Amino acid sequence: MHAAILTSALAAGLLTAFGAAAQAVVGQPAPTFAAVDTSGKTVSLADYKGKHVVLEWVNPGCPFVQKHYNSGNMPATQKSATGQGVAWLSVSSTAKDAGDYRPPNDLAAWMRSKDGVPTATVMDTDGRIGRAYGARTTPHMYVIDPAGKLVYAGAIDSKPTSNAADIKTATNYVNQTIGEVLAGKPVSQPTTRAYGCSIKYPDAA
Amino acid sequence: MSPLQRWLWPLFLAPSLAFGQGAVVKTDEVRAELVADAPEGIAPGKPLSLGLLIRHAPHWHTYWKNPGDSGLPTTLEWTLPAGIQAGPIDWPMPKRLPIGPLVNYGYDGAVLLPVTVAVAPDFRGTALDVRLRADWLVCKEVCIPQSGSFRLAIPAGSSTAAHADAFAQARAALPQPASSATVQASVEGQVLALQIDGLPADLHGKALDYFAADAGVIDHAGPIEQHWQGDRLALRVPLSAQRSESPARLQAVLALPGEARGVQLGFAVQGWPPTAGARSGAPQATAAPTTGIAPMPGTAAGPAPSPVPLLLSLAFAFIGGLLLNLMPCVFPVLALKLVGFARPGADRRQVVAQGLAYTVGVVLSFVALAGLLLALRAAGDQLGWGFQLQSPVFVAGLSILFALIGLNLLGVFEVGRLLPSGLASLRARHPVVDHGLTGVLAVAVASPCTAPFMGAALGAALTQPAPQALSVFAALGAGMAAPYLAASLWPGFGRWLPRPGRWMATFRTAMAFPMFATVVWLLWVLGQQVGIDGAAALLGLILAVAFAAWVFSATRGVGLAASAFRVGAAAVVGAAALGTWPALHAQVGEPVAAASATRSDGSWQAWSPDSLVRARAAGRPVFVDFTAAWCVTCQFNKRTTLGDAEVLAAFRDRDVVLMRADWTRRDAAITEALRRLGRSGVPVYALYAPGEAEPRLLSEILSVAEIRAALTGWPSRAPTSKLAATPPPPT
Repeated sequence: MHAAILTSALAAGLLTAFGAAAQAVVGQPAPTFAAVDTSGKTVSLADYKGKHVVLEWVNPGCPFVQKHYNSGNMPATQKSATGQGVAWLSVSSTAKDAGDYRPPNDLAAWMRSKDGVPTATVMDTDGRIGRAYGARTTPHMYVIDPAGKLVYAGAIDSKPTSNAADIKTATNYVNQTIGEVLAGKPVSQPTTRAYGCSIKYPDAA
Repeated sequence: MSPLQRWLWPLFLAPSLAFGQGAVVKTDEVRAELVADAPEGIAPGKPLSLGLLIRHAPHWHTYWKNPGDSGLPTTLEWTLPAGIQAGPIDWPMPKRLPIGPLVNYGYDGAVLLPVTVAVAPDFRGTALDVRLRADWLVCKEVCIPQSGSFRLAIPAGSSTAAHADAFAQARAALPQPASSATVQASVEGQVLALQIDGLPADLHGKALDYFAADAGVIDHAGPIEQHWQGDRLALRVPLSAQRSESPARLQAVLALPGEARGVQLGFAVQGWPPTAGARSGAPQATAAPTTGIAPMPGTAAGPAPSPVPLLLSLAFAFIGGLLLNLMPCVFPVLALKLVGFARPGADRRQVVAQGLAYTVGVVLSFVALAGLLLALRAAGDQLGWGFQLQSPVFVAGLSILFALIGLNLLGVFEVGRLLPSGLASLRARHPVVDHGLTGVLAVAVASPCTAPFMGAALGAALTQPAPQALSVFAALGAGMAAPYLAASLWPGFGRWLPRPGRWMATFRTAMAFPMFATVVWLLWVLGQQVGIDGAAALLGLILAVAFAAWVFSATRGVGLAASAFRVGAAAVVGAAALGTWPALHAQVGEPVAAASATRSDGSWQAWSPDSLVRARAAGRPVFVDFTAAWCVTCQFNKRTTLGDAEVLAAFRDRDVVLMRADWTRRDAAITEALRRLGRSGVPVYALYAPGEAEPRLLSEILSVAEIRAALTGWPSRAPTSKLAATPPPPT
């Protein structure tokens, strides 16, 4: 046939097929992604196929993140999860021009200083991963099952405050979800309302 | 206020000021003050208000009761003497505060958060000691949680009115309950659909902001569709993809953008689909997040495609691909293949190479198309198999291509004349490339049909991890190409063909007509998508392209006249393309789409998740025809079996509601409904028996006998009163 015409016709059709990206939905395949981490290594969600994966949106400048790191709650949750064979990816979607943006080295140093033990800390400075997941706040937590299906989206725990004293009496949804999925039980609270600071996405869509 | 009280009033101010040190908390971002309004002193039955007056530094804000996508509402914790009871915050009208792709609801500048305080009949104090602990989150780009402890003593025997204006303003800025308004709310897939009557007249016809008062329900940044029909406002509010709440009652505030006055609405919402996984822990329920298709008991979980072993999937896919050749969809490509076989002078090696090239083209295109579909779905698009033909631009491109192929077969132009000589000689040296591209074309036009037995497998494949999914599609392609490959590999094939001769040229010309028939079909599809103007514009563009192809072919040499003709022809094509482009993006309104759904027979109604639920709630059986204009098999069934008088009579006799879900254009609700049926393409025929949770799916090649068998045993409706009540349908 007519190669040039055919190719352009196909290309035109494929281009218009792209629409506005929507948000990840619990119970459906989690959006795949590949990005570099704070050490410059490429991290892909596909690398963790066969494992449960936790995604944690992080911004050291956010008081709600500080609540869970300074109290040791988030590092403890990371330790508990990774100790059970779960991969933990902390994601920074903070734009480079935002006031509390941390370059990769800084972010890694901060994570070490808080005894954080994520499997990797992923730089999402163009906000693509965050937008694909519909991440709104720091922290905002997601759990993905070994088949790549999203099984949890929402808050780190049940008390939406900045007061670290509330952690003791709150339900840690990530621990709860991981406990349930590893025991082969259904997730009792698959979506909760995330709370925290707005993610400072870059302006470009 | 008596003259005496007015004279005494400064005296009572003194202790208040002394305590006033404790009534203000200042940070760099806000100045917060505990204020009171007791114009008639404090006594049972007298009005008493307390409040927190927050003045924000420029660009800083605090939040409304629903903070939106992030943030936290301000909280007030009162410590009051016995007999004094503070109510909840009467939240003044918030502002929409967009932050990048997110939207918050909150306040900047100065805001007073008032509460109404009830004084018990036995209150006897001379002063009221008020303590308040307030927590607020103040944000600009960064967020700072702050809190303050406040203390205020209010004299009981005199007037406290220093902030009377601020309280009056705050009360005036409270959203007013719209007493006369009635709201009908329903959940349609990912949308909260509202019909609001009786709104104040000064709002009629105006664009309004919608503030959801309940957190965790709507997509705050999503576009809200609104239409005024007379004094009725129809709103379509997008629900959050990660909705965590399903309140039985919702509250919302409607306001003119930028105005401090709003109308408060409260309404019941029924039929929330389960939030992901919320129901009794059935694992399938996690796959059914927020569609409105099946809130009926028992159907909530939805049929999750059961995992099929990969080898079995591949085998089914191969068989499905074979059967795809028998579907009406493949007819245009069949004609092309026949022309290919009827090429003069093809020796055996060439024939085998061509067969292989076609197979490679088909398989690679299937894999590429499926890969693209998976990528787009991973990015969140609600798409299904066949999505390429939902794009009017793609349909237009295909119809131009088929028109050119037809003209080429008629001999209007030769391809060698059109292409740069380098490319032309490449084609001459590599005729197999042609066959590979025929394979690409076959997939582009014919793949949207789901073959018999393949509907379920394709639907399941798309939920698999990419390697499995792609191998299923590769097997489907291999199956589709297999007959041609087998024919070209068969040694006797060359002898089976008639000897080359004049008949080949005649046959080639004859095969132009199936190409033009395909163009007619594609134009009809485009007409369904963008209306008659778009279809006419495309006809003009095809004419221009045909003219240009002929000019380029007919003008030989490099003379001035030839060049002028060519430039002119190119200009004609360019102008036609520019004129067609906007028409291809016209949106056909819902009325047209509904008309196309109901046109063929008055007894069909347009499908929506809502109408399906309503019909089933009324206890009626429902038959849903998931169809698309570009799906030839669908159209074939529609005009034969589903147009059959006997079938329609059988449906009528059993009081079956007939619905048509038209997927010609992209439609997230239909994509979602298909997914819940375990499918990702059309046709799908779903028969919902009364009292049964799951529909029965009928085969893709629908026969009268199958429908009759499916309806066997269903009670006929009484032919007496109902017939009298229902006008006889048109025949």
